[in-house]
Amino acid sequence: MPELGRAALIVCLGLAVYGVAAGTAGPWSRRRRLAESAENAILASFGATVVAAVVLLAALVRKDFSFVYVWEHTSVELPRSYTLSSFWGGQEGSLLLWLLILTGFSSVAVLLARRSARSLLAWTVPVLAGVIGFFSFMLVLVSSPFATQRAPAEGLGLNPSLQNPYMLAHPPMLYLGFVGLTIPFAFAMGALLARRSDELWIVVTRRWTLVAWAFLGFGQLLGAHWAYVEVGWGGYFAWDPVENAALMPWLAATAFLHSVMIQEKRGMLKIWNVLLVIGAFALALFGTFLTRSGILSSIHSFPESTIGPWFLGFIGVVVLASTALVLSRLPLLRARTRLESPISREASFLYNNLLLVAFCLTILWGVAYPILTEAVRGEPITVGPPYYNFFLKAFGLPLLLLMGIGPLIAWRRASLRGLGRTFAWPLAVAVGSGGALLALGAGSSILGLVGYTFCAFVLASIGFEFARGTQARRALAGGSWVLAFAQLVGRNRRRYGGYVVHAAIVLLAIGVIGSSAYDTTGEQRLRPGQSLAVGGYTLTYRGTTSERGANAVELRALVDVERNGEHLGVMRPGKNEYIAEQQVSNEAAIRPDRLNGEDLFLIAEQLRPGGPVFLKVLVKPLVNLIWVAGFVFLAGSLIALWPDAREQRRLAVRYGRAEALSRA
Amino acid sequence: MLAIFLVYTAIAGGTPQLRPSQLAGRTDEVSLVGKAVGPVTGDARRAGLRFRLRDVKGTAWVRVVYRGTVPDMFRAGRDVSLKGRLRGDTFVGIPGTLVTKCPSKYTAKKAS
Repeated sequence: MPELGRAALIVCLGLAVYGVAAGTAGPWSRRRRLAESAENAILASFGATVVAAVVLLAALVRKDFSFVYVWEHTSVELPRSYTLSSFWGGQEGSLLLWLLILTGFSSVAVLLARRSARSLLAWTVPVLAGVIGFFSFMLVLVSSPFATQRAPAEGLGLNPSLQNPYMLAHPPMLYLGFVGLTIPFAFAMGALLARRSDELWIVVTRRWTLVAWAFLGFGQLLGAHWAYVEVGWGGYFAWDPVENAALMPWLAATAFLHSVMIQEKRGMLKIWNVLLVIGAFALALFGTFLTRSGILSSIHSFPESTIGPWFLGFIGVVVLASTALVLSRLPLLRARTRLESPISREASFLYNNLLLVAFCLTILWGVAYPILTEAVRGEPITVGPPYYNFFLKAFGLPLLLLMGIGPLIAWRRASLRGLGRTFAWPLAVAVGSGGALLALGAGSSILGLVGYTFCAFVLASIGFEFARGTQARRALAGGSWVLAFAQLVGRNRRRYGGYVVHAAIVLLAIGVIGSSAYDTTGEQRLRPGQSLAVGGYTLTYRGTTSERGANAVELRALVDVERNGEHLGVMRPGKNEYIAEQQVSNEAAIRPDRLNGEDLFLIAEQLRPGGPVFLKVLVKPLVNLIWVAGFVFLAGSLIALWPDAREQRRLAVRYGRAEALSRA
Repeated sequence: MLAIFLVYTAIAGGTPQLRPSQLAGRTDEVSLVGKAVGPVTGDARRAGLRFRLRDVKGTAWVRVVYRGTVPDMFRAGRDVSLKGRLRGDTFVGIPGTLVTKCPSKYTAKKAS
């Protein structure tokens, strides 16, 4: 069986090499059959990767410890459902998952573009094949998941932190996001290689970028929720290099999603957009490199391995080659129009882009700082959360404000009187909310108050935009308000889907501000019968219980919770002792309050059966809005992604024109 | 301009990351990275947890005392980092800064 897996990967590598060669020679010599065979090589590489993945999966399910990878990442006692997490629990499996998604996405992209953007596909194929080639090369020669040994009786087990439903979903989602960014990159390069100056590549890849970006965003929120619920330190994001690794490409992709609209509508920012898509892809590769190379000290660090230099080399090649390509095609990328006024829709998009990219670069600087200082001063210097939090506020608050301004301001040039009319109500709502919050005591954090006032402003301007649109639609087509609203959204999915995503970001901001600027904490050693009061709650420690779970001993502290004399129930913070893995994992207890979105978060330290406990208590207002934001984000992304027959017809006309132009 | 801003903030807000062998003579706040060496004694919630920290690749070591939350994975043999200052011959950790790196996929067990 391992031979089959190895053979499949070698076949995949061969197909990729062929894809690069035939995919370059085909369009070069204008031999259509050759170019088509390169496309088919990409489709076949997906088949080969599926075979390799099935071989590994079968070995994991059978717990065949003669596979070194299976032995390293499973145990006899490991529940079957988590053998799936073992697939990406280690480096070799992760790379295989990456290749599987990459070949799958590339195949779908090739099949779709064959119908709609044939002329663009020719030079895109060798780029896709090149990336596939790199990953299959790594899997064949550097980091094989199919190494074998004489089978031991027991495996080493899966890291307990990964034995969790979140880890079934979080890593693959991030990979879907990382890998998805390959497709817009490949099409952008394909367009440049073919010397095209039109926007076809943007139109073809809009949904790919959205899908990748949505997976990356939702995947990060899942990871944050996992950290909050399972790691149990009371936080959800710690600016760890590995977390930053996923955030950076997401920020670059967010900037890209906004700036391509300017290129579509006004023919500006062409060079900028190509650079952003290169940056997003390079950052996705850099993210994998950071996670997998062990170069930085991170709590997530995986074993130091040999793949680091290869990845760094590949990133270097990607950045240098694509930058050289952009430079050689500069005349094609000249803007059709200029910015007419600093107060206009396109200008506000430009500010949004500058802030997003500046924030992304700030994070990159923070991540790379220890490496740079070690090279220069011989001693690595790390920057911690204060550095990132400072810039989150410095760039995040203006971004939040722009989210309320940008969508309402006119294209090209906005008049001051028009601005007054547009923003009178949102401003009134913002000032009113700010005053009300101040009266309620939110003044304890000035930045929190400013943030909440901005949030109110954005929500109001989104609300008014929906209201105005619905009213106009109803005046035009008649019918009920509900019908008019549904038609409004259905006819402008990109726009209103985007607004829903904006609302999600506001919810996220409300949750983050609430749980970081307005939280209360307390900690104390308690003997059975003793109490502790924090943030309106009274907590009484009653004693311990111990149970034998599937593969762990579960020790829990019993804590009675009261508020205003009312008994709210018993919470059970504690720890699990995993037997095969010989590890302890802290199990926090969380009580969400559905009425006000607040969490009571308990951590039991130094717990021994029947003994005292060191209880840490965190009261986190509004933290649950962060998780609600995840679903709103998903809903907005789906609305923006949903196929639209009218849009398709419009695009068909444009495609037709673009195809005709490219032939001329 | 952005670069100047970044350099400034990073220098003002950065913490040097050192190995135990580089610690001699340093009295500023640093982040210390090394391998925890037993015996681990004391109580992190009272007088403090006591252990030694050794260079991951080397033999130099320093005594460490730490109060505060101890991560799940902490034990002798694990790679850890913590912030603090050298006082006399003991490195005094700052509460809440002790971080355990993910175990290198149980390579320690492979040897046993």
